[in-house]
Order: sequence, then C-alpha cells, then structure tokens
Amino acid sequence: MSDFEPDILTFCCNWCSYAGADLAGVSRLQYPTNSRVIRVMCSSRVEPIHILEALKEGTDGILVTGCHIGDCHYIEGNIHTDERMKEIVDALEHLGLRDRLHLEWVSAAEGKKFQETITDFVEKIRALGPNPLKNNKKEE
Amino acid sequence: MTTPRSNIYQTNVYRKSSDDIWNCLTCGLCYDGCPQGVDYPEFVKEEREGKQQGDLVHKGVFTLLSDLMADLKESKTNLAESGNNDSKIGYYPGCLDFHDMFFDLDVDFKSIADSSMKLLEKMDMSAKMLQLKCCGHDQLWQGDTETFEKLKEQNTKLIKESGIETLVTSCAECYRTLSMDYDLPCEVVHISQLLKNADLGIDSNTDVTCHDACRLGRHMGEYDAPREALSSAGATVTEMAHSKNESWCCGVSTMMSCNDRSKALRKARLDEAKDTEAKVLITSCPKCLAHLNCMKTEQESVENYEFDIKDLTVFLAEQLGGK
Ligand code: SF4
Ligand code: FES
Repeated sequence: MSDFEPDILTFCCNWCSYAGADLAGVSRLQYPTNSRVIRVMCSSRVEPIHILEALKEGTDGILVTGCHIGDCHYIEGNIHTDERMKEIVDALEHLGLRDRLHLEWVSAAEGKKFQETITDFVEKIRALGPNPLKNNKKEE
Repeated sequence: MTTPRSNIYQTNVYRKSSDDIWNCLTCGLCYDGCPQGVDYPEFVKEEREGKQQGDLVHKGVFTLLSDLMADLKESKTNLAESGNNDSKIGYYPGCLDFHDMFFDLDVDFKSIADSSMKLLEKMDMSAKMLQLKCCGHDQLWQGDTETFEKLKEQNTKLIKESGIETLVTSCAECYRTLSMDYDLPCEVVHISQLLKNADLGIDSNTDVTCHDACRLGRHMGEYDAPREALSSAGATVTEMAHSKNESWCCGVSTMMSCNDRSKALRKARLDEAKDTEAKVLITSCPKCLAHLNCMKTEQESVENYEFDIKDLTVFLAEQLGGK
C-alpha cells in the first residue's frame, strides 16, 4: 500500500482552469505529478460516460475543474456541469466510488488554488487507496 | 435490411453473420405471428453473444453502469433502506435510480418504487426493499453474457441471503429476466399480478389505455393482470388498435436502436393512444415509460398529445393518496 501512487485525471476547461494550471506552472508552484490534464473547451463537455469509462480503466480519482459560476465562457456551461456532476456523484455513490470524483472552480488567476486543489485531491485519494476496479484488472 | 427468414438462412446455411442482428427489437411480435413458431428473438440473442454491441442509447451510459456494477462488490441499484425488514416478500426496484439520473426526462422514476411499496403495504403485503445489482437484462440481450453471468451470480447470492420467498418487481424486464434467465429459489411476480386481485378501495373513474410491455406481454404471456388491476380500481380501459399479443413495442427494448425507425414506431404508438381518447396511457415497464414520454416531449411543438403517460403503480398509488 505504501508504494501506491494514485492515477489522477484532471479535466480543465480551456478558458479558466487550463490557464490557471498554466499560471501554476509559470509561477513554479510545486504539486504532485500524479495527475494528467485533459483540456476541454468547457467543463460542461465532460460527460458521465467519460468519468465512468475512466474509472473502469482503473483511474483512481477524477478532478473536474471549470470557471467560477458566472464566468463560463459559454455563459452557463458550468451551471450544467454542476447539475450533471451531482448526478454522477449520486451514481458513484450507488457504485461505492463516491469520493473519487471532485469538482472545483478554478479561475485563470488562481494558480495557487490549482496547486492546492491537486495536492489535496491526490492526498485524499492516496488515503482512500486504489480504485477497486484496478485491482480487478490485475487479478485477471 | 434483410428479413428474419433470410437472416436465419444466411447464418445457418452459409455461416454468414449479418449486422441485422442488431436491428431486431426482440419484442417478439414476429414470433407471435410465425406459423412455424420460430423464436427469432432467441436466435438473435444467441447470435449477438460475444459480438461488438450495436448502437447503444445515451452513449451506452446505462450499459457501462451495469458493467461497473458487475465488478464492484459494494455497488447496488438503490440506496433506500425502507420497508419491513422481516418480511418474506422482497421488492426489487431495478435501475430506477439510474433512470432518474441519466434519462433527462421530466419523469420521476423513483416514484414507481415508492408507489409500489405503498401499494404492497395497502395489500397487507408489506415488503422489504431489496438492494441488489442490475438484473443484467440489457447485458444479456446486448450479447455480453459474461457480465450477465457475473450479475446473475451475485444477485442470486444476495437474494438467497435475504431469505425472501416472493420477489416482487415493477419492471417488465426484471420480471422476465429474473423468472426466465435466473434460477431462483423463490417465486418472482410482477406487481400487476398482485394488484389484479387487490381491493385497494379506489374508484378512479378515469378513461385509460394500456400499453403492453413486450417483456411482460409476449415474453411472459401476462396481458390481463394490468387490465384487471385497472378495472378493479374503477378505471375504464379502452384498447388501442394494436393491443395484447399484437401490441407494438416502445422500440428501445434493450437500450439499443433509438433511431429513426424506432422513433416512427413510438410516434405511431402514441397516435394509437391518442385515438382511444383515453386520459392516461398506462405502462407496466419503466423503460416503456421513459421512451414513450421522451417521444411525447419531442413531439410537443407539433403534436398535441393530451394524455399523460404513467406507470401502473404510480397511477394507482396517486389515488390512494387522495383518500
Ligand atoms: S426514446 Fe428517449 S429516453 Fe428512450 S433511449 Fe431514445 S432518447 Fe433515450
Ligand atoms: S468555459 Fe470554463 S466552465 Fe465553461
């Protein structure tokens, strides 16, 4: 267990969070390297199927980030994201995977917040242990 | 597109498999009309085994959920712990919770579970809410027998552990799967079969019409129970042009093929319902409820369907509430 390094998938929307991640980079803020970023045009691009598929493939945690409410480049994309994530969290609760998904609003100016969000989430997932679906795969 | 006949011929004589196996709705209408009694749906089911799935609806989210459920020990289709835990009767709500989450329709699916529990209570058969996994119906018919077997094994174990003698379901698909494709030590009934003899003390006086779910009707041969339940509750049932064994399918029976053709079928079905001038179209399968409601909403701007589409249990329980 001690050598468990979580695999994290981070979705960043192009207009805020991705820029936030960039800012964290250029400001040389240090954060764990467990996460891979996927850039999407808007956080509302992330569909339930993406999250479920990622979990099926053994991802330990999924972080969805987007502009703050009111700041979405597409006006109300992130309002839909918010609603949709609640549904997915509910579905994950039924599956027993509830804590593996997290939604956070990160603006382009919040490099620091991006760093903290990733760090906290990685620690949370580390404490939670590996995705049970990953174990399944290995056993086979 | 080819015919069932040529499809069977090509497969059995030339060992050619065709894409057509994915077009069949497996509703069993052809089986019922076949003078030779050829069970085409069964053929399709076997042919699909192990093949790449056809066009899944809603990007396959429902299928993926069941796949995950098969591999996750802790997963279950409902979280509500309610009812009478010592009861020998178990109620299994099926995937209603997931319908609420991912269908994007203005239908409250969970109310089917609540209504069913309420009706069972009223009939002095207070049940315990079962927390099982997906029954695997869609997996079986989509050709993923491996996942189906996993789900079947886990569910059978859970049902045995629960110690129930009767399993009640409000879903036609669960009913067919649990009674025909599982080997359970208990009796499986569809809730309409209990409701037909029940004295609920309702006198509803509503004009309704009845949509036969293919799984409940042609697959299981139960046509009368929902109708009797409705008439003993005082409702007048007017039949649509195609009813009982000739009933038309909602078109998306295994969460596949929500396409132009099956949409035309749903539209035609709604037109039939409209012609009966009934106030409510009653279904006894949550999936039919979803797909027919979806079409009704889609048509809103062009066609005015004035009836409501409701599940049998919801329709009955609503009137209990008024008393
Ligand atoms: S009919 Fe509507 S609810 Fe049913 S599968 Fe098609 S889009 Fe989904
Ligand atoms: S563009 Fe950032 S959330 Fe929509």
